[in-house]
Amino acid sequence: MAKPQDNQGQQHGAREVTRDLASRIASAKREREIEDNRASRDASQEMTGLGRGLRIGTEFIAAILVGAVIGYLIDLGLGTSPWGLLVMLLMGFAAGILNVTRVVAQMNAASPAPPGSDLGPDEQDEDDNDDA
Amino acid sequence: MAGTDPIHQFVIYDIAKLFTLGGDGTEGSGVTFAFTNSALFMVATVAIVSLYMILSTGAKSVVPGRAQLVAELLYGFVANMVRSAAGTAGMKFFPLVFSLFTFIFVANMLGMVPYFFTVTSHIIVTFALSMLVFLTVVIYGFVKNGPKFLKLFIPSGVPGYILPIVAPIEFISFMSRPISLSVRLFGNILAGHITLKVFTGFIVTMSSLGFLGILGSALPLIMAIALTGLEFLVGAVQAYVFAVLTCMYLNDAIHPSH
Repeated sequence: MAKPQDNQGQQHGAREVTRDLASRIASAKREREIEDNRASRDASQEMTGLGRGLRIGTEFIAAILVGAVIGYLIDLGLGTSPWGLLVMLLMGFAAGILNVTRVVAQMNAASPAPPGSDLGPDEQDEDDNDDA
Repeated sequence: MAGTDPIHQFVIYDIAKLFTLGGDGTEGSGVTFAFTNSALFMVATVAIVSLYMILSTGAKSVVPGRAQLVAELLYGFVANMVRSAAGTAGMKFFPLVFSLFTFIFVANMLGMVPYFFTVTSHIIVTFALSMLVFLTVVIYGFVKNGPKFLKLFIPSGVPGYILPIVAPIEFISFMSRPISLSVRLFGNILAGHITLKVFTGFIVTMSSLGFLGILGSALPLIMAIALTGLEFLVGAVQAYVFAVLTCMYLNDAIHPSH
C-alpha cells in the first residue's frame, strides 16, 4: 500500500513542476509581447515615415482626381460645363480631407503615445508650476 | 547615355507575338496581343509563389523544417492580418488577400534583382490589382447586404439635412480607394527604382571624370547601397500595406455599418 502514496507524492511534485512551468511560460509571453510591441512601434515610427507621407498624399490627391473626373463626366452627360467640374472638384477636395483625417486617426490609434510621454500641460503640470 | 537612362528599365517589349485582333492585316494596325517581359515576370512571380508553397508544405511534417516554417509563418501572418482587420467572417477572403500579398511581395523582390523587370512599376498592373479588390468589395457587399450596403455612404448620427452634402463626399471618398491603392504601390516602386538608377548613374558619370571623380563617386555609391536596402524595405512594406488596406475594405463589405 505504499504505492498510492508514492504516486501521490509524484503527482504533487508533477503539479508543482507544471505550475512552475506555466508561470515561466506566462512571464516569457508577457516579455515577448512587450518586446513585440516595442519592435512594432519602433518600426512604425522609424521606417515608414516616407510611406506615411506618401499614403496621406495619395489619399488626398486620389479623392480630388475622382471628384474632378465625376464632375467632368456630369458635364459631358448634361452639358452643364463648367459647373459640374467646379462643384465636384470641391466635393473631391472635401472627400480628400475626409480621407486624410481617417488615415491619420487610424495611424494614431495604431501607435498610441507611450505611457509617461508628455502630451502637453495638464492639471498635474499646473500644480507643479504652482509649487515652484 | 543608354546605360544610365533611369527610365529605360521600365520599357515593355514583346517576347513573342501571340495574335492580332481587328486591323487590316498591315503592320501596326489592330490590337496585338503579345507575351511581354512584364507577362514573363508575372508568370515567374506566380510560379515562384506556387512552387514554394506547394513544395515547402508537401512534407506536412508535424515539426516543420525551415522551408515549411517560413510558409507556415507567412500563412499565420496573413491570417492574423485578415482576422484583426476584417474579423473571422473575413477569413473566406483569405485566399484573395494571401495571393495579393505574396504576388506583390515576390514581384517587388524580383524587381530588385539587377536586369529584372519590376511588374508593380506599371500603374496598369497595380490598378488592375486594386480594381480586383474594389469590385470584390462592391459585388460581395451588394450580394451579402443588398441595398443596405449603401449605408456605407451615410455615416451614423448625421442629421438628414446635411446628407445631400455628406453622401457625395463619402461616395467620392469610396471611389478614390482603388486609385489611392494603386497609385501608392506604383508610385513607391517607380520612384524608388528611378532614384536607385539615378544614384548609380552618378557613379558611372563621376568616375569618368578622372581621379577626383572616382574619389567623389564614393558618395553616390554609399547612397546607392543605402537605397538598395531601403528599396527592399519599401517593397515589403508596400505589399503589407496593400494587403492590410484590402482587409479593411473587405471589412466594409462584410460589416457595412460605419
